[in-house]
Amino acid sequence: MSAIKQVPEPTAGKPGGPDRSDAGLATSGHAAPQAGEPGHVAPEHTDAHALNLPWLMSRARIWIRRGLILALRVSRLVVTGVRQIRPGLRFLRHSLLRRWRRSLEFRTVLMTLVLAITSFAVVGAYLSNQIANNLFQERLAQAESESSYNVKQVQDTFNGAQVTDQSSVITLVYDTLNAVEGRGDVIQRRYVFEAMPEQTKPRNRWVESRASDQLTVRVIPPELRKAVQESGTDQYWASTEFPVGNEDRPGIAVGNKVDFNGTVYELYLIYDLNTAQQTLDEIQNVLWTGGVALVLMIGAIAWYVTRNVVSPVSHAAVVSEKLAAGQLQERMVVKGEDEVARLGASFNHMAASLQEQITQLATLSQMQQRFVSDVSHELRTPLTTVRMAAEVLYDARGDFDPMNKRSAELLYNQVERFQSLLSDLLEISRFDAGAAVLDAEPQDIFQVVGHVIEGASPVAAEYGSEVRLNTRQKSIIVEMDSRRIDRILRNLLLNALEHGDGKPVNVSVAANHDAVAISVRDHGIGMSQAEAARVFDRFWRADPARARTTGGSGLGLSIAAEDTKLHGGWLQAWGRKGSGSNFRLTLPLKQGGTILKSPLQLEPADIELPGAAPERQMLVLGAEPAAPSTAEPSSTAPNSGGPS
Amino acid sequence: MKARILVVDDDEALAEMIGIVLRNDGFEPVFCADGGQALEIFRSSKPDLVLLDLMLPGSDGIEVCRQIRGESDVPIVMLTAKSDTSDVVRGLESGADDYVPKPFKPAELVARVRARLRPGDQKAPETLRIADVTIDVAGHLVTRGGERISLTPLEFDLLVALARKPWQVFTRELLLEQVWGYRHAADTRLVNVHVQRLRSKIERDPEAPEVVLTVRGVGYKAGS
Repeated sequence: MSAIKQVPEPTAGKPGGPDRSDAGLATSGHAAPQAGEPGHVAPEHTDAHALNLPWLMSRARIWIRRGLILALRVSRLVVTGVRQIRPGLRFLRHSLLRRWRRSLEFRTVLMTLVLAITSFAVVGAYLSNQIANNLFQERLAQAESESSYNVKQVQDTFNGAQVTDQSSVITLVYDTLNAVEGRGDVIQRRYVFEAMPEQTKPRNRWVESRASDQLTVRVIPPELRKAVQESGTDQYWASTEFPVGNEDRPGIAVGNKVDFNGTVYELYLIYDLNTAQQTLDEIQNVLWTGGVALVLMIGAIAWYVTRNVVSPVSHAAVVSEKLAAGQLQERMVVKGEDEVARLGASFNHMAASLQEQITQLATLSQMQQRFVSDVSHELRTPLTTVRMAAEVLYDARGDFDPMNKRSAELLYNQVERFQSLLSDLLEISRFDAGAAVLDAEPQDIFQVVGHVIEGASPVAAEYGSEVRLNTRQKSIIVEMDSRRIDRILRNLLLNALEHGDGKPVNVSVAANHDAVAISVRDHGIGMSQAEAARVFDRFWRADPARARTTGGSGLGLSIAAEDTKLHGGWLQAWGRKGSGSNFRLTLPLKQGGTILKSPLQLEPADIELPGAAPERQMLVLGAEPAAPSTAEPSSTAPNSGGPS
Repeated sequence: MKARILVVDDDEALAEMIGIVLRNDGFEPVFCADGGQALEIFRSSKPDLVLLDLMLPGSDGIEVCRQIRGESDVPIVMLTAKSDTSDVVRGLESGADDYVPKPFKPAELVARVRARLRPGDQKAPETLRIADVTIDVAGHLVTRGGERISLTPLEFDLLVALARKPWQVFTRELLLEQVWGYRHAADTRLVNVHVQRLRSKIERDPEAPEVVLTVRGVGYKAGS
């Protein structure tokens, strides 16, 4: 039996053939006989496109219809939406992006779906390709063996035929060929029977050509014909299309030569690939349905799994947010022994120790408050007795001899000092215990300033200092605890008078949009850098040897600093040896407000500049940014009538 | 006649010292060291004023204050070591007229006692009206619709101060000076608490006062 050969087919030579590059569903003819065999055309390419053409067409029709519907919907959406639901679309896009950013679950499910769809497309294409190829190869093998057999039958019949007259020859040929089509209703194969061109025509050649219903020699690819014509007795094949009824069907044409009564004929047997195509379609349908179902299931599985993993994590996030907000009793639910349970357990452990620590701290703070309160009461009662007794003695000192008289005076003064020290200590420990509460309400700062200046007037008279108030405003309403502000300012003013050397003390008040500033400037002995840095320290004294004349406890400025901190303000000190000092209190106009810039300068504009490099001192308290007032080199403060 | 003053304090040294100071200033002190016996001694001694320590053994000073106030309008001045707002306010709310924080000076104590003992300075016969409340100043009598309303001397003074000048808005500082006799600014909570107490007695609806009106951000004035 001669080998079957595939005809090489130039791509361009096939009219109406689908694009060859569409390899996805094409079958290949590589199972054809080995290339390079002598005398054979090497089967470089396969022509299996015909197999896929109808499938592609019907697919395309479906997709086109779907695409049209989708396009219609989208265009309708766009037309109505551009005007009406553009914000809605933006919101949708925004919310999707937001979910993408914020939801691990959403992101994972979406990623899984995208990856699953991609892998199914690749695997599906490969499977579909393989199946189509196998189907084609199977049919081709069948076609080849059947063709060899049938051609042999025909040749045998022709060889043994008695050539008598024209009609019997025609009948013989036609019967023989019809027998090739097979018995029964179903046509197993079709044929095209054609005399080879360009050969000497014998006298009794009565049959030129013959073909099955609807077929002509034109359905045979020219390349196949050429191969058959030029070869010896080999069998060749090629893919083709042939008309059945109103449609074109894919098929395989197998070409041979037979000779009859001295004439060489080409005999092509054509095998229908329609059933294979239908099988392929069904398989592909199954692949599609299965693929879609699987993708959906994978999506659902991904959602379920992520949910299982992520929900404890988001639960942990919720719980830790609550913890951070102060709900210390919040705990995670722990189930099982997996990683999530371990996370939950260690989270709960952390929360418990946090709660314990905080409760402990709170208890300590409460205990300290209790202690302060108790000490306060326990000490004050005997102190009251001592103080009253001292005063009674002091009042009666005129009746005493000089030694007892002086003792009574000392007792009286020291009891006073002890009492002020005690109350300052209790005040400081109240701050330390966190028991100090701001009792703020809107009030005019000038009321407090006026009250302080008025209260300090006896002391000012004693030192011979004049207290001047510099301001351009008449009223500045500040949200403050006036009792504390009164205490701060009284402290600053008494300090200034004490260290003011009897020179005038300037009190300046100014405000800007968010803050009010009060500065107290004295022109006394001043202080050095090191001193200015320590001025708010507890029990610190500028000059330990200096006699205490106003009976301060050494805690006054520390308490002032604490009071300022409670208000969210700044308390700063500036000083220079010999040029006096300046204390500036800056308060936000509203509680909780931020201070960007103090309305007054810390370094007064009135200082004399000696030849030596000036010693600048300042101490920053509170939340003021670094290098606060040195950033104001000139008099940019609103109060141009500041210290002068 | 010497004014009798009941000193309720568990600290004997302080009580004795207070006694010395009070005697020195011409008062007659009576002592009680136990809160549980305070009411009994109060009934038997009939004092003109009570000096009461807030923290007492046996019975809380605040409870003693409430008991005394329950049966008498006698002025009560608290001695307090706690300057915490809540304690002072609780003491005032339980009926005390004034308080002196420890440690106090003898002069301070005597000044507070004298301010509360200020005799009716022989008030001229005078009848005042605020809303539907009638005040007979000389008779120390307050009536509404013929029905007598019982006020402590301090509450009475507060109401009279407001009623005498119905056109004026009184700041808390001014009331402290006129009613309590403080020369320097003191604790304005005294005023707030006593206005509440006064309202609870004379107003038909203390939530919607008609007799003592609040002027927001300034103080109080009499209703018309």
